[in-house]
Amino acid sequence: MSVFPSDKTLLNSPMAAESVEKAASCPKLQFAPFSSALEAGFWHQLTQKKLNDYRLDESPRSIKGYYYNGDPSGLPTRLTLEFSAFDVNGPTPAYCCAAMGTLYNTNTLEAFKSTDKKALLDEAANEIWTAIQSGAAVEDPSILSKFIILTFADLKKYHFYYWFCFPALCFLEGIKLVKDPVLLQQKFSPQQVSAFQAAYDGLCSSSGTTAVPYFLVKYSEENVEVALLKDWDLFFTDLKKVTVGVYDPCTLPQHPGWPLRNFLFLLASKWGSQLDVLEIVCFRDRTLQGCRSVQQSLVLEVKLPSLSPSAACPKGVGWEKNPKGAMGPRSVNLSECMDPKRLAESSVDLNLKLMRWRLVPSLDLDKVVSTKCLLLGAGTLGCNVARTLMGWGVRHITFVDNAKISYSNPVRQALYEFEDCLNGGKTKALAAVDRLKKIFPGVNAKGFNMSIPMPGHPVSFSEVTIAQAQKDVEQLEELISSHDVVFLLMDTRESRWLPTVIAASQRKLVVNAALGFDTYVVMRHGLKKPKDSDTGDSSPSSSFSASDSSSSSTPATPGTSLFSNIPGHRLGCYFCNDVVAPGDSTRDRTLDQQCTVSRPGLAMIAGALAVELMVSILQHPEGGYAVASGSNDRMNEPPTSLGLVPHQIRGFLSRFDNVLPASLAFDKCTACSQVVLDHYERDRFQFLSKVFNSTHSFLEDLTGLTLLHQETQAAEIWDMSDDESI
Amino acid sequence: MSSGEVSNISSYCLDEKSFHLCCKLFLQHSGVIRDGWSWADVKGSEEGYVKKTAIIPAKLGSLLNHKADDGMNAVTGVDECDDEAVGDYIVQSQVLVHYEYHILYSIGHQVPILYFRASTLDGQPLSLDEVWSNIHPNYRQRLLQGPWDTLTQQEHPFLGQPFFMLHPCHTEEFMKPLLQMADDKKRKINYITTWLSVVGPVVGLDVPLSYHTELPAPD
Ligand SMILES: [Zn+2]
Repeated sequence: MSVFPSDKTLLNSPMAAESVEKAASCPKLQFAPFSSALEAGFWHQLTQKKLNDYRLDESPRSIKGYYYNGDPSGLPTRLTLEFSAFDVNGPTPAYCCAAMGTLYNTNTLEAFKSTDKKALLDEAANEIWTAIQSGAAVEDPSILSKFIILTFADLKKYHFYYWFCFPALCFLEGIKLVKDPVLLQQKFSPQQVSAFQAAYDGLCSSSGTTAVPYFLVKYSEENVEVALLKDWDLFFTDLKKVTVGVYDPCTLPQHPGWPLRNFLFLLASKWGSQLDVLEIVCFRDRTLQGCRSVQQSLVLEVKLPSLSPSAACPKGVGWEKNPKGAMGPRSVNLSECMDPKRLAESSVDLNLKLMRWRLVPSLDLDKVVSTKCLLLGAGTLGCNVARTLMGWGVRHITFVDNAKISYSNPVRQALYEFEDCLNGGKTKALAAVDRLKKIFPGVNAKGFNMSIPMPGHPVSFSEVTIAQAQKDVEQLEELISSHDVVFLLMDTRESRWLPTVIAASQRKLVVNAALGFDTYVVMRHGLKKPKDSDTGDSSPSSSFSASDSSSSSTPATPGTSLFSNIPGHRLGCYFCNDVVAPGDSTRDRTLDQQCTVSRPGLAMIAGALAVELMVSILQHPEGGYAVASGSNDRMNEPPTSLGLVPHQIRGFLSRFDNVLPASLAFDKCTACSQVVLDHYERDRFQFLSKVFNSTHSFLEDLTGLTLLHQETQAAEIWDMSDDESI
Repeated sequence: MSSGEVSNISSYCLDEKSFHLCCKLFLQHSGVIRDGWSWADVKGSEEGYVKKTAIIPAKLGSLLNHKADDGMNAVTGVDECDDEAVGDYIVQSQVLVHYEYHILYSIGHQVPILYFRASTLDGQPLSLDEVWSNIHPNYRQRLLQGPWDTLTQQEHPFLGQPFFMLHPCHTEEFMKPLLQMADDKKRKINYITTWLSVVGPVVGLDVPLSYHTELPAPD
């Protein structure tokens, strides 16, 4: 901006002269400058023009704004540009005056800054001056309200920089007010006011318009006449005292707006030497509650200095101050309404808000949207869970999976397509992230291509495998710790064990979904009480062991009174219902291992239920500690605005039915029992590697399951078919 | 239901021809009381919409520091100049909001739809929260049950720019009792006027009483 120091002198010098003048003499006429006013559509249209028409062409463009003289008092004098500003031949809004402008749109911010503003202003001032001298401005005075707009559109960031200039020619010595300004109603009788109004309306209709920017006025007691500026010689026979009208957009009680400034220059240049006193009606045409009022128009009397028509172009002023009151450009950031990514985000947010406003006013959306979700498994369940989470506006989604996408996957796994299978297949965890971002760029998704060590799957082959397993465990611990909800969505039961233990130890909410052929279970794991709370409650196994084991061992009577009103911290985990440890492929009959193929709709149902369960839990004031709702509660007052918060949802597609069982944490559980957690928390990887490397009997011995097996033969009782009775 | 006059109610919708007639009468009256409504033609199409813009002083504290300072002023700024011919009486502390209201016809729902957008004078649109905070608290509770609950953000069908829109899915529902009542009393009403009186206040748009009392009745 090396040009600006000289701009500064330019902008200041005429002012300085006037300033000196002011100190010495009587009231001078002051004008309210225009404030630029842009409709949002203007920027959209400029963007379109820049992209499709102008491209890199920086040549000046004609543009059109308008101003209005009917504002109620208090509003600033505005020059408005709307989206139709680029269509200079388009209609001007009714009762508004058009102002023609020149748009200088630069290609770079540098060019915007370094554009010679002094030169632009000089050029415009000269154009106005020339039109005044030649008389063209008398024929068409709209040149007097010419404006300049300098813009730069940063279409990468959707930032727009702009600076308006409303060029005004400066009288060296200002304009002296002969009298204090008065309102038209003080000057005119009501009859004269209505005659004036009628005469102006007549002038408008005879000119085929709804607003005339500058006009001539003649009045007597009974009559008021008006005429166009170009009819001066016919209209005025006596130049002793003439009256002119100016369409005045200003609402201030004492001051006229900007359009009068250059008009006075024209009058002074053409007739200044002949006019003794000039009377000006600053025409304000308001309508309040259906009642038209022009009485508020301002009447000024001024003495015009005479100007030599051959004089050099007078100094011009007019660059607009920015909102801070300084000489500088303005900028506006429209990424919110133009950046497609931001638009997608705000639309998604708005949709959710609408759901709240319309249907569930007490819904705490922030709680849902801000929840960080860890999805262990990016297969059929993982894909559907992720999509449903996105539907709820959840932004933070992390996938863990070690598989690659195979040809059979895309038809069932909603985030993948055929191309993803080629060349050996993309990594699921990473491909899922890419797809989420394509669906919704605002998502904060990450993917981890890693295995989850499993009980009964030895890792002790070599130093390398041990180190890898340790690394995987640490990574998983880290991930669980940095998320709020852990979804268990794997296709093997064993792989659910480690995250169950870690999440139980870290007191993280776990939502688990598993599929059979036509059955599914979706459940939340019991959430142990915080570690520093009363230990009696934090180990439900000790207080419940007797009834617990007896109920566990009498499957014919589960789900009745014993299983109602179980608080969240006493609820079981996925493994609590098992009487065998994971890793035993011969006795293991749980859901996810009965069949690897399920009815295709099942994953969508279960994945959706898993997310909806999470949302319902989050809406409960006690979160994961919420008492489990059962099927019987379906008739009762629901505990949350969204309804029930069950422990488990067990569904049977063959009957299109589901039940809501709840079960207690099992004190001999191979995953969440206190003894397992104690060992894990004490020995960490040392304990875990023992579990990985040993057979199932290690965990069974540890928890006392072995003993239990000797007491009961009911190893198969936990099949789905039995649970239907719940 | 010919001519936009709801005299024989078989349905509470508004066919397209009636929409145009209602708009024409509405605009005629607007021209008389000069409250700023006009018809906007859509280029290259027979279609159009009724539009109005209004400047409303807002009480949004957040809007005053709407934009981050980008250092541009330091770069291109010059010292404040004191043009003596410029009044320094301009009140800048008040934030003005530019509201644009467009009434479109929904062929799908056979009812009018209100699109609107609010922006500050630099052209920055207000968020829905900001629009909401500008609604008089007395209205809010009622609006939560009323038309406000159908508010969505949508691209303007003619302009392709994001606007807020009062979704027409409930329009017929809330218009029905009003139209029925008018019919019972054998009163002729203009659908657009009645409808706008319900949805307008949501977005700061008042419909002067004279629309109901002085609007010429269609035959
Ligand atoms: Zn357990």
